[in-house]
Amino acid sequence: MSVQPQPPISGAAGLTPRQLTHRLRQMLAIREFERLGEQCFRDGLIRGYYHSYAGQEAVGVGFLNALDLSRDYVVDHYRDHGHCLLLGLDPEQIFAELFGRATGVSKGKGGSMHMYSPERHFLGGDGIVGGGLSVACGVGLALKRRANDPICVCFFGDGALDTGTFHESMNLASLWSVPTLYVCINNLYSMGTRVEDHSSLSQLVDRAQGYGVKIEQVDGQDVFATTAAAERIYQYMRQTKRPYFVEALTYRYQGHGIHDKALNYRTEQEEAQWHSRDPIQLLAAHLITEKILSAQQIEDLRQQIVSELQAKIERAKQAPQPDEAELTQDVLA
Amino acid sequence: MKKLSMHEALNQALREEMHRDERVVLLGEEIGKYNGVHYVTRGLYAEFGKERVIDTPISEESFTGVGVGLAIMGMRPVVEMMRMDFSLRAMDQIYNHMAKIRYMSGGRLSVPMVLRGPEGPGPNPGLTAQHGQQLTVLFAHCPGLRVVSPSNQYDAKGMLKAAIRSDDPVVFLEPGPLNNKQGDVGEDDYLVSLDHGEVKHEGSDVTLIGYGASVALCLQAARDLEHDGVSAEVVDIRCLRPLDMGPALASVAKTNRAVVAEYAWQSYGPGAEIVARLMAEAFWNLDAPVTRVSGQEVPLPYAANLEELSKPQVADIVAQAKATLR
Ligand SMILES: Cc1ncc(C[n+]2csc(CCOP(=O)(O)OP(=O)(O)O)c2C)c(N)n1
Ligand SMILES: [Mg+2]
Repeated sequence: MSVQPQPPISGAAGLTPRQLTHRLRQMLAIREFERLGEQCFRDGLIRGYYHSYAGQEAVGVGFLNALDLSRDYVVDHYRDHGHCLLLGLDPEQIFAELFGRATGVSKGKGGSMHMYSPERHFLGGDGIVGGGLSVACGVGLALKRRANDPICVCFFGDGALDTGTFHESMNLASLWSVPTLYVCINNLYSMGTRVEDHSSLSQLVDRAQGYGVKIEQVDGQDVFATTAAAERIYQYMRQTKRPYFVEALTYRYQGHGIHDKALNYRTEQEEAQWHSRDPIQLLAAHLITEKILSAQQIEDLRQQIVSELQAKIERAKQAPQPDEAELTQDVLA
Repeated sequence: MKKLSMHEALNQALREEMHRDERVVLLGEEIGKYNGVHYVTRGLYAEFGKERVIDTPISEESFTGVGVGLAIMGMRPVVEMMRMDFSLRAMDQIYNHMAKIRYMSGGRLSVPMVLRGPEGPGPNPGLTAQHGQQLTVLFAHCPGLRVVSPSNQYDAKGMLKAAIRSDDPVVFLEPGPLNNKQGDVGEDDYLVSLDHGEVKHEGSDVTLIGYGASVALCLQAARDLEHDGVSAEVVDIRCLRPLDMGPALASVAKTNRAVVAEYAWQSYGPGAEIVARLMAEAFWNLDAPVTRVSGQEVPLPYAANLEELSKPQVADIVAQAKATLR
């Protein structure tokens, strides 16, 4: 079945119906991946940590689709499954990593927080808050030496603004004019601590002031807003080779990690408020209004995604554990 | 005595010392309103309020420095690292300030603070490379710090209380693998020395030496060896800096054989120091080379089979102990 390209729709960040449908598919895939992944954790297939990206989909979808993966690179934090999917890593390999199997993206050695895919220009999840910020500055500095105006995008949470390395990295990126975009995913909480309780200024963009870096806030629930911001910002960065800081306002639906079950630090009212601006629902509503897809087609799409993911889970489960000799390999070159 | 988990024992110690001395304040991530990721500070925020149980942002270097500042002003801060791995961020404050201010000031200032948190691969599996490291040696290497690690719930309570009362900066290393394990804890106000190790199980044929979480491995190895007719003595080093070799030396004088067990990477680790001390001070008592069972020298891997292989194994302690008897 071939879909004919259609003219862009106004108010949809210039995306064609086909591109819009693709983005809906991506968001549904992340949401369902995380739901199934958490189930796998409860079934004992996954150990250690599991940080769900559910609720934050529009941030990654906007900023990663606008990248050019033939030249650009991504540095991430531990909440990395969604970004891996968007960069085109095979869900089967991501599940295999989560299951600690030899076929995982990191051969089963890294786990949930440590996905890597140099082929897909994904330079890692990282378990240390703020650990990737200076690395992303270095990646940007390396990219600056390349001819085709590449850029680096670095994701981190609101909590990372409290680390010294955030401020050092912003200074370095500006001083050396490094084309790295710092995307602060402000989901209002650093683990159980609300922004107002961990940050001296509750407008996080204000804390990125003072380095001569352009800053802006974007609605992280609105995939059109993130898409438009990403395209505009990338163009500016490619031209100027300057860093940029974005605060994307969003919300994580699950606990900080799978062990954070109580969630007694936030109210049901607040959760309901954010769910009422669910990024997937917003895009779905647009597609329905514009008669691009019907509600039924969207539900069929979701079910199709679920069965595809389930098949991948089954295959990942069949994969072997790493060979014991792997224990001591990869320590040094 | 009462059966408590390690985190409950530590919680009692904090609560008792906070009642006893109002200069005791706690700092750390998620320790207050959230009640602590590993439950050690559970209930303390409700009981003592935000002036004494201070939730910090993710600013390890600086809130450790704040601890130093509070301490030189006469407070008794207890700084929690959510996991000891994150203390790497705070190493400048630990090495250059917490450890050295007493000496640099010619003894005019002291830093009565405690830096504590869980280390090593536990309580739950799958912590992976940046969250389950055993970094004991980094602290034990640095003059000016006291470095201790309890191996059971009873000691944990008494040692933490002693650490809070100490006029020295104390790095208090909680064995992650034991965080949720239960054991007998005294209900009274008791202290356990920060100067002395202890024999945890008596025996006569071979000495098994451990610290922190590896003591439990030594005790299991001793039980296994008993089945095979070998009587092993288990020594808990407990105090890594200053290092108390007393019980280990006395034990080796009796058994003439020793195996050192640790979760840490072997090269340059605490076990290396313990073996060197045995060479220097017990050489003429030894009938066999002293060997070590350590964690594999790799970042903690995720896959279940590799993670298990990376840890020190009871079976290896048993085998090494038997080898000393051949
Ligand atoms: C240096 C360091 N300190 C503490 C932690 C433990 N920790 C992991 S995530 C986290 C909260 C971070 O929140 P935020 O940056 O807002 O990201 P989010 O989880 O909301 O995506 C904490 C305290 C860590 N991993 N690294
Ligand atoms: Mg956050």
